[in-house]
Formats: sequence, structure tokens, C-alpha cells
Amino acid sequence: MRVLVAIHDLSIIENVLQFAAQIALKVDEPLAILAAIESTADHPPDRVDAILTEACQRAAIPAAQTQIQMGEPIKNILDEARRGNYDLVIVGDLTNHRPARLFGVSHAIRIAERATCPVIVVKGKAGPTQRILLCDSGSEGSPLLRRFTAQLADLLPGEEQVTVLHVMSQISAGPGVRGKQLRVSADELIEEHTPEGELLKQDIRSLEQSRLHPIPKVRHGLVVDEILDEARSGDYDLVVIGAYIGEGWGRFLLEDLAHKILVQIDRPVLLVR
Amino acid sequence: MRESPDSNLAVPTTPKGQPPTNTPELAGAISPQFGAETIKLAWWARIRIGKLALFIVSLFLFVLAIALMKEGAHGVAPLVQKTFSVTNTANSLGFGWLFSYLIMSGSPVAAASLTFFDAGIINKLGAFAMINGSRLGASFIVLFIGLIYVLRGRDRSTSLSMGLLSLAVTATTYIPGFFLGATILQTGWLDKIQLQSGAFLYSVIDLAIDPLTALVASILPDWLVFCAGLGIIWLSFSLFDKCLPQMSIKESRVGWMSRLVYRPVIMFVLGALITMISMSVSLSLSILVPLSARGFVRRENIVPYIMGANITTFIDTLFAAVLLRNPPAFTIIFVEMFSITMISISILAIMYQKYRKVMLVFVTWVTASNRNLVLFMVSIFALPLILLLI
Repeated sequence: MRVLVAIHDLSIIENVLQFAAQIALKVDEPLAILAAIESTADHPPDRVDAILTEACQRAAIPAAQTQIQMGEPIKNILDEARRGNYDLVIVGDLTNHRPARLFGVSHAIRIAERATCPVIVVKGKAGPTQRILLCDSGSEGSPLLRRFTAQLADLLPGEEQVTVLHVMSQISAGPGVRGKQLRVSADELIEEHTPEGELLKQDIRSLEQSRLHPIPKVRHGLVVDEILDEARSGDYDLVVIGAYIGEGWGRFLLEDLAHKILVQIDRPVLLVR
Repeated sequence: MRESPDSNLAVPTTPKGQPPTNTPELAGAISPQFGAETIKLAWWARIRIGKLALFIVSLFLFVLAIALMKEGAHGVAPLVQKTFSVTNTANSLGFGWLFSYLIMSGSPVAAASLTFFDAGIINKLGAFAMINGSRLGASFIVLFIGLIYVLRGRDRSTSLSMGLLSLAVTATTYIPGFFLGATILQTGWLDKIQLQSGAFLYSVIDLAIDPLTALVASILPDWLVFCAGLGIIWLSFSLFDKCLPQMSIKESRVGWMSRLVYRPVIMFVLGALITMISMSVSLSLSILVPLSARGFVRRENIVPYIMGANITTFIDTLFAAVLLRNPPAFTIIFVEMFSITMISISILAIMYQKYRKVMLVFVTWVTASNRNLVLFMVSIFALPLILLLI
């Protein structure tokens, strides 16, 4: 598994490398670390190199291939991710960077949205990944879970606690509609063989085959709000979501919820493709 | 197929990115030219003569009703001005609000307010306030149906959510819209916007409606002419509802629409377009039910849909203003639509996320207990009553 750790801002280098260090222990190939920094007088290439080397040592990353590219961080990181045919990109984001949160234009989010492979955006304090929240949409065709286990199975040795979350944001469209399913728990949905229950059942079976013991969970409310609330209240170390791949009319018509989650969340997110 | 953290982001598509059809084999079996002709023929074949006739009848009744209400409005002046004491803007707002509760519809009340204005019973601002009140009262209809289900033992939240949401969105856009519209009307910014043409329409009315109106007016007293008009307009809306095609959309056809989260602006436009055709917010909301096999709709989608619906629901009142041949009446409705559009767009652009959350929290609070529900019900009857008595 080829992993690229992309540094576009030296102020968050420690956090990103600390998170990357635990990934390094789970993959067979050494990490590739790219420092793609804007050219400024404060950060000449030799200074960037010194900071990177020191940070790698502090994070105890075993062996890594490092390179430095000055100018146009987003373009350089995306080019490298494409050129190197990586399976995963890890990039850091300033969680409390207000302008970026308001306008959603942070470099990390742009990289995550434009990359062609899965991306982990490291936000907040990156600690050991023990609790994972997997947010499954339930869409047909290409389930998030199947792609997650197929692409990133190496990252799951089986010790983590995985919660599979499905958010039901529906309400009844009219007074006469029977809405019991709009209030019940995951277990009841599974028992009643509702579409959401069947999805969760399938997800659990699939994760159990990967020697994991997932917990199904259903929340009722607005999708983004419920995911953010669950991530916070459950104190998850990593939130897994599917990427928005709008095409044609879809991009024009549909809301990009993945973007909203990426902008608002305060902890590491894995964007699966 | 595309996917993201929720099914909302999943759009099933054909390889070319087109929404799925339920008859792909047909598309491949016939030539494009032949296929287009077949679709056209099928479309024409689906038009029912009966429904078309019903539409013409409902349109005729609507025009007749406006003419009768215009003719008889003077007869109800004592009732409005003395019995109900509708003498200021607040009274008009409360009167329109309660009147809509009484007849369980907003459009006839809005049309009545224009005839009152035409007859000089209420002034421009009073007519504007009464129309606002009519919409606030009309949004009670969905809630009322929900209450019947609650009384029958159905779940409070499921039965009342849509009605409460509709009422909350209407109130929070129409109340600021009222102040904006009142300012516009008083300053006369949009007074120049008046429909000048309509000679053909008027000649048709002169020929077909006026003799009938004159006959009724010669037999009945003015107040009864107005009441007859009100009854006929109510009947015309009922007939018009029956003209609309029955919604039999199955989950297999466009059911995926109900599972997606659309951009607010898309739902706003959709709500406006559907209501432009159906002319009724409650009817355009009921159209959502068969879109999903389970009758569910996304929370994310519904608020902007109601906002859009609340604007184009005035189309029939705009037509009524044209029929009255009173240019300032047209301006009143135009200002109403303009101010609600401005408020809705401002909410969508500036504070939509917070606004939507507040609306949903409010709905949850009302349905949380019987006490909250009773408090809410008392307030929506007490408020217009207080306004009427001020």
C-alpha cells in the first residue's frame, strides 16, 4: 500500500506526521512525505528540509522518502498523488482556521476533493486511532463499506472499535403517512427488515468478515449535523465518509454534504473513493 | 452511481450520466425520430377531455366569482367595518388570518381582500395585511389534517411535522415580508408596476360574465352576491384541484428523488414551479407523498420547497387582480410576491443552515408534549384574535 503524506503548512507538520506514524506501522511500504510549501522568505528550501527531518524524527516515522517542492502546494500535491499512483494521501488541516471554515477554501479540503484516491484529512488533535465512525449512505451500486474494506483493509488490524452510522433525515411527507421507522433504533430497523436495516445488516456482515466487530447505529435528523454530533459525542478518532462524485446534472442539483462535513468536523476524516 | 456519506449524494445514472428510465429496452429498440413521435402521441393520448372541461369550468367559475365578489363587496362593508371593526392594518391582518381558518383556504380570502380594496372598504395597506393574514391562516390546513390523525391515535410527530413546518416557514417569511412590503407600498417604489393590457380578456368578461353578474345582482342583495361569489370561488378551487393529474409516481420511477439531498436553491425553484401549476401550497406538499414508497421526504429538502411554494401560490390572486381591472390591486400582489421572494432569498443566502435548524427545533418542541401542542394551538388562535381586536 502506497501512502503519500502531504505537508502544505509547516505549522501543522507535527500533527500530520504523528497521525502518519501509526499508518506507517500498518503498511508494508515506507511512507512518501512531500513538503509542498508556498515560496516565502521565511521558509527557504533548506529551512523546510531541516524542519521536516526534525519532525520525522520526533514522530518516530521509521523510514520515509521525503521530497520538497516550493510553490503551488495544491497543484504539486495533486500532481504527485497522481504521478506516484498512491493508494492513500494524508494531509493536515487547520481546524480552527476561521476564514477557511467560513469559505471552505482550505488547501487540505481542496486536495481531498480533487484527489483521485482516498484522502485522510488530519484535523484536531491526532491521537491513536481506536474508535472509527463509518458513515454509510446506503446508496446502491458502490457501497462505501465495500470500497473502504477493499481499498484500506490494511489499516484495520481488528483492534479498533467500528461504529457503522446511517442517518435518516426523513420526515413524513404528509399527515397520513405511518412513520414508526422514523423514530426507531438500528436494531429495530434490522428486525423489521427496512431498507436501512438491511443496509446495516449487510455492513455488519461485511465487517465481521474482516474480523471486526462493528456496532450499527441509526440517528434521526439532518445528515451533516447528526454525523458531526455523533463524531463529537462518541469521541471518535477517525470518521469515514464517501466522497461526493457529482457528474453532469448531479453536480448542479445535489448538495455536497461531504464538503460540509470536511469543513465543519474537528477530527481526522477519511474520504473514501 | 455516485456516493457520499449519505444516500442523498447517490444518484443512480446510466453510463451516460442520465437518470435511469424504467423502459431502457424501448429506447434502444426504436429510431430516435420514431421514438420522439411515439412519446408525443402518448403525451397527447394522456390528456383527458374530462379534465380539460373541468379546468375550463373552474376557470369560468373563478372569473364569475371575482365579478360577483366585486359587485357585492359594498354589501359586506358594514359587516367588515362595523361588526368586525376592521379599521386598521392589524385588524386586517387578523381578519384575513381568521377568515382563512374559517373557510380552510387562503386564496378565496386573498381574492376577497382585493374586492374589499376595490370597493374602498379597506385601504392598500389593509388589503396587503389581509392577504398576508390569509396565507398565515391557509398554512393551518395541513396542520389541521394532522390534528385529525392525532385525535385518531396516530403519532403526534409523524402527523404534525409537515403542517408545523409549513406554518413555521410561512410565518417566519411572511411576517418580515409584511414589514418589507408595507414599506414598499407606503413609499410607492413599485407603484409603476401595473398590468396595463388585457383588452381581450376584458372583452370576453364583458360578453360572457357581466350579463350573468348583472342578473344575479338584480335578484340578490349585495351581501348575498358577495357570499355567492365567495362560495363559487371556493368551488372553483376545488374543481381545479380535481383537474390536476393524479400523482401515481412509484418508487421504481423517480423514488430515488426522495432519497437525495438537493441544493436548497433547486428545491426552492421546484416548490415554486409545482405550486405555480397547482396554485396551492398544501396541494404541492401533498404531491411529495407519493414520490417515495414510504411517504418520506428529506428534512434538508423540505424547507426551501415550502419557501418557493409560498411565493407562486399568489398566481391566482394576481389573476384576480387583473380581473378586477384595478391596477393598484395588481401592485399589491406584486409587492407581496416581491417582498416574500426577497425575504426567502435573503434567508437562503445568509442564514439558511441556522434558519432550517431553528425551524426543525421548533417542530420538535411543539410535538414533544401535549402541553406544548396545546400552547401552540392556543397561540395561533389567540394571536389573530388579538390583532382583530386591537
